[in-house]
Amino acid sequence: MPHFFSNKKLILLLVGMIFLVALISFSLRDRQNASVPEQFIKDTVGFAQSLVAKPTNYITGIFNDINSLLNTYEENKRLKMRLEDFAVLQAEVNTLQSENESLKELVGKEESLTDFNPLNASVIARNPDQWEEKIILNKGSSHGVQLNMAVMTANGLIGKISLVTPFTSEVELLYTNNPNYRVSAIVQGEKSDIFGLIEGYDAERNELILKRIDSSFKVNVGEQVVTSGLGGVFPKGIPIGEITEVTTDDYGLTKLAYVKPAANFSLLEDVVIAQRTVISVDGSDGGNTNADLTNETKSKTTDEGEE
Amino acid sequence: MMVRFLIPFVAVVLFLLEPEFALFSPIDWGGETVYFVPRFVILYLIFISIYYSRKRACLYGLIFGLLYDVFYIDIIGLYSFLYPVVCFIAGSSVKFIHQHLSVTTILSLILVAIMEVVLYYFFYFIQFTTIPVGEFLSNRLLPTIIANLLFLIMLGWAFKYLINARVLQRAQDNS
Repeated sequence: MPHFFSNKKLILLLVGMIFLVALISFSLRDRQNASVPEQFIKDTVGFAQSLVAKPTNYITGIFNDINSLLNTYEENKRLKMRLEDFAVLQAEVNTLQSENESLKELVGKEESLTDFNPLNASVIARNPDQWEEKIILNKGSSHGVQLNMAVMTANGLIGKISLVTPFTSEVELLYTNNPNYRVSAIVQGEKSDIFGLIEGYDAERNELILKRIDSSFKVNVGEQVVTSGLGGVFPKGIPIGEITEVTTDDYGLTKLAYVKPAANFSLLEDVVIAQRTVISVDGSDGGNTNADLTNETKSKTTDEGEE
Repeated sequence: MMVRFLIPFVAVVLFLLEPEFALFSPIDWGGETVYFVPRFVILYLIFISIYYSRKRACLYGLIFGLLYDVFYIDIIGLYSFLYPVVCFIAGSSVKFIHQHLSVTTILSLILVAIMEVVLYYFFYFIQFTTIPVGEFLSNRLLPTIIANLLFLIMLGWAFKYLINARVLQRAQDNS
């Protein structure tokens, strides 16, 4: 093939390659914010996507319904067994709740880390090439979604918002290799709560890793892990999962635990974005800058005051 | 007149259907987590490149690659480079292969497999993934190729039929 590439084409190809490498490195650097044309494309494609997502969700819903209809008998038997326990538990929760409220009134504490406004959103797409675990939701900054907010299903935490455009938002799921992805968590131990950070996951075991647990505390297999709310953005008390194994970490200074996630990550359809009612701070759930996110101007002035 | 717009329209529909099928993945299969990656758009573009026009396929590849990059990956330049290149290779191979449907199907699957490998090494290089090569081959590449083979067996003939209709129409317009 002597004239497969003419000289002009070759130069064009080389220039194109250089341009591409520059583009890739440029867009790799800042992936938390989208530029205006990017936002426009994302919103347009997102709109078309949500049109397609509705009928397909409906069809998969029918299949799920048939599936659950076939399992009804088994499930019913199991549920009946649990129902009796549930009635006792419900009564207990009611008394605790009323007690908690009256105590709060007594102390004069109005806001709690556990309070949040749920914002319902539906999944319109999942990153098809699946190298990054990412889903796209149909709610964006115009609905009040902000970066690093917690995203959960009825069963538990699934991830946090990694990018926001006016009408869509992207969720980075807990299964990610991103080294900067942290969720501050607590283990609900027998006597006291034990603090730790969810950092990364084990691909072979398919489980999350809870790091930086103080080695003086005893953590048991089977204990529940929930968000602590101390990371600044997430509300407190969203279930993350259950501890399956406890070991010491590489340096032997702190403990490390494997956590089996409570939420089911396949076939996500409807999720809840948790906007916490207490002010948000950009702590370890976010970029670790400790900036006040709810009232940004105020935080600037206080920063200056400290200096 | 209809056929003219049907070709890009099908590409758009396939582009929008890809993430919906991705919602089914990953699947737990006998203790292993298996990933299926739908590659409908690029398969369709390879068909266009082989049966219709290389230039047109490369153009569509650039557009859909760019959309893919912006909407899903947030790394601009990855798919918008790979899609046109794959289309270009497919279009250039026309001289050397027999244009039978089965040959085209196998060729497009080989090209998609090569693209998957390139993507794996790219994401491995920038440390988005840490899975070893063996696991990539067994849990990602193989299921992906099988799933896309099923897709082509079901719809490959329809693509060929549609594209041939367009080629015929263009020949009539020119004469």
